Amino acid sequence: MQSVNKKLSLDTLKRGIMSGLHITWELSKILVPIYFIVTFLKHTPIIDRVAIISAPLMGVFGLPGEAAIALVLGNIVNLYAAIGAIASLTLTVKEVTILAVMLCFCHSLLVETVLAKKIGLSAVKVIAVRMALAIVSGIAFNLFL
Amino acid sequence: MLNILREATIGSFSSIKQIATIVFPLMIAMEILKDIGILDKIARLFSPLVKVYGMKRETGFPLLIGIVFGLTYGAGVILQSAKEDKLTRRDLYLLTYFLVAAHAVFEDTAIFMAFGVNGILLLITRLLVASLFTFIASRLIKPDAALINSSSEVVSNEA
Repeated sequence: MQSVNKKLSLDTLKRGIMSGLHITWELSKILVPIYFIVTFLKHTPIIDRVAIISAPLMGVFGLPGEAAIALVLGNIVNLYAAIGAIASLTLTVKEVTILAVMLCFCHSLLVETVLAKKIGLSAVKVIAVRMALAIVSGIAFNLFL
Repeated sequence: MLNILREATIGSFSSIKQIATIVFPLMIAMEILKDIGILDKIARLFSPLVKVYGMKRETGFPLLIGIVFGLTYGAGVILQSAKEDKLTRRDLYLLTYFLVAAHAVFEDTAIFMAFGVNGILLLITRLLVASLFTFIASRLIKPDAALINSSSEVVSNEA
């Protein structure tokens, strides 16, 4: 690959702003509705039910039960949805850090597994590896942070 | 009810503002890095790393692109590089294994940093774990001289 040295120009700044705008917009489209739904649920008994059911599993990672909402949304929808849940729940910095490392290794399973398959990897293996990395890193962060 | 709507409106907008103040400078910085042609130079620094995995030297560039810009954009570069640089099936597997563990690392890190997460810790953990994991995979997947010619056709999943 030949390195064509493009010069810095106003265009560089423009593209940076545009991609910042793009990410913020894509994030907002998902974050705002999720934030509204989770805030609404917080005022109903449903969230307590979810928290109680998920508490034993989430406890392994030092997370409160309702953090399961972020993990589930992150894996089924995408990271932005998980962020929406994290923003609306009341979590400590340590809890957000544990969620962050778990979600970084394992998110958007539906879309990204299709991509990995396109390149030729087996879907089952990719999902297994990512979940294992998330579980191990979550437990480790809980122990060492 | 009005209280809930107020709480959600104020909360969601302040979250977006927090994220935007980190994402915008980062995206501008990445465009600057791209335009001063520094990515090629960094990719060259990756050569020793990909050599440890027993991968082709040319794998450094698609690897870096995937780490920085993510899988969706990276997949295109990977498939193109697989054709042009004649990457082996093994190169492709290891490259993708690294990238499923660590891709679009700066964008993801920036978004979590808005919520008080230590970005350096998150970034280093991700890259270190991905490197280690790929290293283990590189010892398990044998060099595949027989597979070199098959990078464009679909091979049944082995090992």
